[in-house]
Amino acid sequence: VIHKSIARPISLLALGAIAGLFVYPHTAFGPFLGALYGLVFAFFFAERASSPGTGIMWGLGYTFVLWIGVPLGISRFVLHPAQGVNVVDVHFRELVAYTLFLGVPLGLALGVWGSFCRPRPWPSFSFSRPLLVGGAAGVLGGWAFGKWMQQVNHFSLIAGLVHSNSPEIGKLLHFGVAVVIGAVFGVLFDRDLRDYGSTIAWGVAYGMLWWLLGPLTIMPLWLHEPVDWSARKAGGLFGPLIGHIIYGLIVGIVYATLNRIWLHFATEADPINREPEGPATRFLISMRWGATASVGGGLLFSLVMLATGAFPRVARVAGGSLPLEGFVVHMLISAFVGISYGMLFRHEARNYGGAFLWGLLYGFIWWILGPLTLMPVLLGTALTWTPAAAGKALPSLIGHLLYGSATACAFFAFERRCSRWIMLDPRLAARELRRLRPAGTPTPALWVFVLGMGVLLSTLIAM
Amino acid sequence: VEDSLTNDLFTVPTHYIWRRGFMGAVAGLVGSAALIHIVANTPLSVMCGVVAGTCYSLGFFNRSESLAESVITGSALGIPLWMLLSIIVSPGFAGQPPQWTPHGMQQRLPELVGWMFYGAGMGVTIQLLNRVSPWHIGTDPTSTPPVVDVAKTRIVIVGGGFAGMHTAATLEELFGPDRSVSITLVSDTASLLFTPMLSEVAGGSLEPTHISTPLRTALRRTEIVRSHVNEIQLGESRISVGPKGIDSDDESRTLPYDHLVFALGSQSNHMGVQNIGEKALNFKSLTDAIRIRNQVIESFERADRELDHSARRRLLTFVIAGGGFAGVELAGSLNDFARGIVADYPHIRAQELRIIVVHSRDRILPELSDPLASYAQKCLASRGVTFELNSHVRDVQDGVVILDGGKEISSEMLVWTAGNKPNTLLDPNAVSHDERGCVIVDEMLSVPGHSGVWALGDCAVVVDHRSGQRCPPTAQFAVRQAQTVARNVKAMIEGSALAPFHFDSLGSLCAVGYHTACAELTVPFFKHRVRFSGLFAWLVWRTVYISKLPGRERKLRVIVDWIMETLFPRDIVQTIDLT
Repeated sequence: VIHKSIARPISLLALGAIAGLFVYPHTAFGPFLGALYGLVFAFFFAERASSPGTGIMWGLGYTFVLWIGVPLGISRFVLHPAQGVNVVDVHFRELVAYTLFLGVPLGLALGVWGSFCRPRPWPSFSFSRPLLVGGAAGVLGGWAFGKWMQQVNHFSLIAGLVHSNSPEIGKLLHFGVAVVIGAVFGVLFDRDLRDYGSTIAWGVAYGMLWWLLGPLTIMPLWLHEPVDWSARKAGGLFGPLIGHIIYGLIVGIVYATLNRIWLHFATEADPINREPEGPATRFLISMRWGATASVGGGLLFSLVMLATGAFPRVARVAGGSLPLEGFVVHMLISAFVGISYGMLFRHEARNYGGAFLWGLLYGFIWWILGPLTLMPVLLGTALTWTPAAAGKALPSLIGHLLYGSATACAFFAFERRCSRWIMLDPRLAARELRRLRPAGTPTPALWVFVLGMGVLLSTLIAM
Repeated sequence: VEDSLTNDLFTVPTHYIWRRGFMGAVAGLVGSAALIHIVANTPLSVMCGVVAGTCYSLGFFNRSESLAESVITGSALGIPLWMLLSIIVSPGFAGQPPQWTPHGMQQRLPELVGWMFYGAGMGVTIQLLNRVSPWHIGTDPTSTPPVVDVAKTRIVIVGGGFAGMHTAATLEELFGPDRSVSITLVSDTASLLFTPMLSEVAGGSLEPTHISTPLRTALRRTEIVRSHVNEIQLGESRISVGPKGIDSDDESRTLPYDHLVFALGSQSNHMGVQNIGEKALNFKSLTDAIRIRNQVIESFERADRELDHSARRRLLTFVIAGGGFAGVELAGSLNDFARGIVADYPHIRAQELRIIVVHSRDRILPELSDPLASYAQKCLASRGVTFELNSHVRDVQDGVVILDGGKEISSEMLVWTAGNKPNTLLDPNAVSHDERGCVIVDEMLSVPGHSGVWALGDCAVVVDHRSGQRCPPTAQFAVRQAQTVARNVKAMIEGSALAPFHFDSLGSLCAVGYHTACAELTVPFFKHRVRFSGLFAWLVWRTVYISKLPGRERKLRVIVDWIMETLFPRDIVQTIDLT
């Protein structure tokens, strides 16, 4: 036991030192700083990183906070840069470096280590289901991303990776990669995924990670071009960023759905295991709560829409043009999104704070889905995954976050109210607790990474 | 388990909230140090930081969180705070519009660093305070309310119909999970029968169980006792329940009560004619509806092989006594069912079939206005139903239904919907009854002279507080009376004022066959009731009743039944042998 407890921090320290060489290649303090990061990570997260997936997620959250704390904090609080100098812009390169060289390897290493340190017998893990389900989810995610790629003729660019300019080759390559990273998603995260909501969020984080890894890093390396991790270069890759987020979102939702179907038919539908009220009743209750909870959020969002004069544009979705029509359409959409929140995020939050953050995350996802993706499609125009479109939709981002947080808190109030009833019967209470997200999962890391990266990149890149 | 599920802001003691709030405010203040010289409006931001810290502490009951988790969560909270305060609120205080343009937000990105620092600092501080506080100000008080094993107030409801079930449901809403109050419902059936759709079960368009809601699943904390009430001892405040007609001590059980609610409903009244009681089919329960449908199928089976014309005619004649809502809706459903299955019996012709409604007045549906009643009669007649108006069923013998003046109808099946009488178990000497046997209650729905005893629904004489009129024995009145009784029971327990009963009828709906109904509804801002009929009324009928049917699952099942009914032929399988 003593041997293991020492070996783990030492190995993380060594790994951190090596990573530091890559993060700060031209300075001597890089390995020292990296070693310190590795040691701190091992010290604080060893108990939490129990699998490769959780390790990676903790690693991503940890390095994002580190990036805020160290490079940005030092330049903002210690060096006091001149007014007008955007520290975020200046240190963007380090964000990518921290994530890829520190977050992923440290997290993966601690997670793998953690999975072997668990008390025996280890839970059995079958690779076939995650590979199969993840691969299938990858195909669908790749299809959605491919719609935009086709629109901007991106397939030819992808084909360049194998020295071709044929869109068909590019498409084949794209789907091949989509299947592989979908399968990797399954293998990495299958142990930690629970319900739809969190699986979608995991998928979005995974998509963001692959944006940093793919178009920003691997592609230029493959094409023997210099790797450029500047904010300007990232701005040029806004389309692929949204594409990766959509890909991750679809992988998440498809994975969760296939997983649930699998579980439903294999276990939950068995009359011996079936819960008394049945999944459909739970589903219907969640829908009702979600629709009711969305009213406050929808009204809050409508203030932003009123301030920006967005109602006539929303009305066009239903063929109208009046602000009142826009308001009605907006509230209907709110109800729909609220219902979807209820269906996807039941049992995810353990307290109001958690609900608030899940709601923010869901609001961000709907900002990507709504004004940037579905709205242009519904209005019959092309997908506008451009910095200019993101710039126009920034007020809407704030509206979506307000909406998501208010809806989630109201939904949680309904969940709590129901819990008090359930408390009267210990059997029901035990069952409810089993469904509830357990403490210690890497959701805080997920929140900070997805929200931080999402808001930061959207703001930084928007024009 | 309890701690994990109920440990939140609204269930913990007040001093716990103050303590947590104070620690959060301190943590927010400490974290706010990161905002000084970073954000545009420092005093405002620090103030908001303190408020956010308090909310964080109250919103996250993070006793199981590690320091690292708290730092990361706090940092994540910095993001919405930046958006809200740096982008919207702070510019607002400076007289500027929200800075949500790309340029405006990019200009304020450095403040995001400050807010995330704030969150991290707050997260660290609150964790440290959580760990240090037990040494200085003691351990956290218990967050779960003390468990009350014995209820202080026992409410017993007798009857599981609309009145009883809704009384229990409203009491559950009013008392919530308060364990000091126990609610017990005693019912013969342990399920609520949705009687407005009963005729559709008899007509074979709905599955029998789909219109019955189990009380055990519909009510969350009420104890359901499926039993018969054998004795009520008002003086000793207890009732004795057990199998019907058995007074054995082994099988009976005594239920003491503090409040007793009578909601026993009604039963068929055969007007003292013994033969009717023995030979007619009732139309009150699910079993009655199943029996009617089976009897019709049985008659068809026998008629199909019968060669004698008069015997066939007798077998294919179905008499319904009573032209009120129940009788007319049954006639419509049964007529559709019987004429729909003729095709399955090659030796029976539609002309041989007779559905006869016997009614004591000169028109059917006395609950509705003249034009609607006459419309309903015409519709039914055009679809093959015949009427014997101004007539009573006087007797029934083997194969013959005898009307006024000795007129005979040759029929094997008589369904009785012509009269009801209240179910009552209360001693007539102790409690006042009207001439029909209904319990007389005051306008608060309590039984005079017996504190804590209440009666409602079909078994009680309920007079509306405002109109002074006696309430009709319908489901919509029973449901509102149940709400009044429940509120009054709570008021009496709490020592507050009781409320009298008042309810303005919403109107009436009556389905009279395929895609046809009559509606007479009270509409806001209309002085008189709105009357309409036909397809639209039928759609309203279905919409209203599906919304009233208790249970989402049942609603869904009935909707599926309705769709299936239009796609496939009627099922002529006899479900159970009741002969």
